[in-house]
Amino acid sequence: MRSRIVVFLAVLLLTLASCGGAVSISPSPSVTASPFPATLSDFQNRSVTVPARPERLVSIGPSITAFLFALGAGPRVVGVDDFSDEPAEAASREHVGGIKVNFEKVVALKPDLVFSVKFSDGTIEKLQAASLNVLVVDPQSVSDVAKTATLIGKAVGADGDSLARSIQQRVDAVKAKTANVANRPRVYHEIDASDPAKIFTVGPGSYINDLIDIAGGANIAARAASAYPQLSAEEILKTDPEIIVLAADVYSPKPSDVAARQGWSIIAAVKNNRIVTIDPNLINRPGPRVGEAAEAYAKLVHPELFR
Amino acid sequence: MRTVGILTVLAVALVVSAAAGILVGAVAIGPSDVFAALFGSNDVNGTIIRELRLPRVLGAALVGGALATAGALLQGLLRNPLADPFVTGTSAGATLAAVAAIVLGLAAPLVPIAAFVGALVTVTLVWRLARLGGGTTVLTVLLAGVVLTSFAGAVVTFLLISSDRLALQLRAVLGWLQGGVSVISWPELGVAALVVALGLGFAVVLAHRVDAYAFGEETAATLGVDPDRTTTTVLGATALLSGAAVALAGLVGFVGLVIPHALRFVIGATHRRLVPASFLAGATALVLADLGARTIIAPAELPLGAITGLIGAPFFLALLVRSRRVVV
Repeated sequence: MRSRIVVFLAVLLLTLASCGGAVSISPSPSVTASPFPATLSDFQNRSVTVPARPERLVSIGPSITAFLFALGAGPRVVGVDDFSDEPAEAASREHVGGIKVNFEKVVALKPDLVFSVKFSDGTIEKLQAASLNVLVVDPQSVSDVAKTATLIGKAVGADGDSLARSIQQRVDAVKAKTANVANRPRVYHEIDASDPAKIFTVGPGSYINDLIDIAGGANIAARAASAYPQLSAEEILKTDPEIIVLAADVYSPKPSDVAARQGWSIIAAVKNNRIVTIDPNLINRPGPRVGEAAEAYAKLVHPELFR
Repeated sequence: MRTVGILTVLAVALVVSAAAGILVGAVAIGPSDVFAALFGSNDVNGTIIRELRLPRVLGAALVGGALATAGALLQGLLRNPLADPFVTGTSAGATLAAVAAIVLGLAAPLVPIAAFVGALVTVTLVWRLARLGGGTTVLTVLLAGVVLTSFAGAVVTFLLISSDRLALQLRAVLGWLQGGVSVISWPELGVAALVVALGLGFAVVLAHRVDAYAFGEETAATLGVDPDRTTTTVLGATALLSGAAVALAGLVGFVGLVIPHALRFVIGATHRRLVPASFLAGATALVLADLGARTIIAPAELPLGAITGLIGAPFFLALLVRSRRVVV
């Protein structure tokens, strides 16, 4: 349970370190003929060549692991990071570390392809120095997710395009529902308020900001300077959110805790009892469940659309 | 007359800086709105001012006043210009006890009591250690403080890392350790105000006895001051003040050192005057330091302890150099 928070902090660090790399995948619709060797451009715009169908995969990043299993490459996954627990089967693989990658373990697993989220501490370079083939995959927005399916599909020789299409369809279905809503309620999504003077929320360029937008809400921090800005309690009171979204896990504050905070009783969401919770793993990980995540979020923001 | 004048100036300075502290914040609110908010307007500005800013400013004032008063008492008792709750390890002891209380899952109102007990144990220990060599020398007190602070720091680190409960609040606890008065609730403030008032009351009553210490304990005894009883009460008052300050704001260094010391030059070493002056000046200094913490890198905030350390540490070094020249 504790790991979720660590995951989140890790994701946060990684996000702060990254500067919006984009995937560029050359359009090649046919994957039936032998797709290897494949030359791919990853999330750090590095050109990575996969010489033959990889048989031993290591995944450093819970959403990457979820993609690999969704693409049917699960049996080839020999190692995962400590936080990969989706699907449940993934957690049974060899663990190769979390915030700090255990390089010896990765090398000992003899992977022929390593997938990793971005790291700002030289982890990618160290893996490469150990003669490993590394593909950096780090989706940060809803539109990244479909592209990620295609990229990972090409890397492992699976049909990523179909997965990308089905992901996109489910997201589009939610978008269609919320497209013409008359009002977009102000949403405050709480990430971490353990320091009440500097409360972490989500800003532009973050995955959850996208989800709020697709769900038909208006993020109160949509114009903040960073993807994970810190707000003071004063600013939150001033923006007067109509919905407050919390993570539904044991260690996060409960709606009653939030309602009881000094001064917060004046906020519309508190007055109208619209403090809601959502599964953090579902919405923190830009993985194949993005459609499900968008739908779950939309149900919180516009329950009337889903009756 | 001069004393009354100085105290008046200090009181006015406190009111002015408190007004500045209430006027400036993350959300811009005009002076007339602030005025309306203080007197009960029921909109969001009113809530921001009354529920968030006012308790914060009052909290800073209480913490600063308590630390400076405790510093004045310790400097008098130990006959040592370099003593204050931070340097002697008293704050660290209070912090350790408070963190332990949180780890043990004690109810929130018990945390300040734990902080008081921790402060009392540490300050008594420092007093005993300082007297080992016969007299209380400047360096023994400092060394005792350094040792106790590192020991308490080590135990706090151990508790933080080994406790699941705290690991999850790591950022909150670390923020608190760095010192800060960001969000203080009214009940919390009320309890702290009572404790500080009690400590301040003792300090005022005890002030003339602390003066007698300036000539050494034996002289104090011949002046009709019972050294043991006085020492115990002064240590108790110091622990009340430091414990309340730590419970509210964590580790805020150097206020207790710099303020009473600087005031001695202005108002003289008589504790009857020094104690109330230290309270007012300490309160003003911390309200201003918190204002700086909020505004220097706005919209982000600096830890309060960083501001006081930035100003206090060089001052401390200068004092150390001077005291070495005189004493050794």
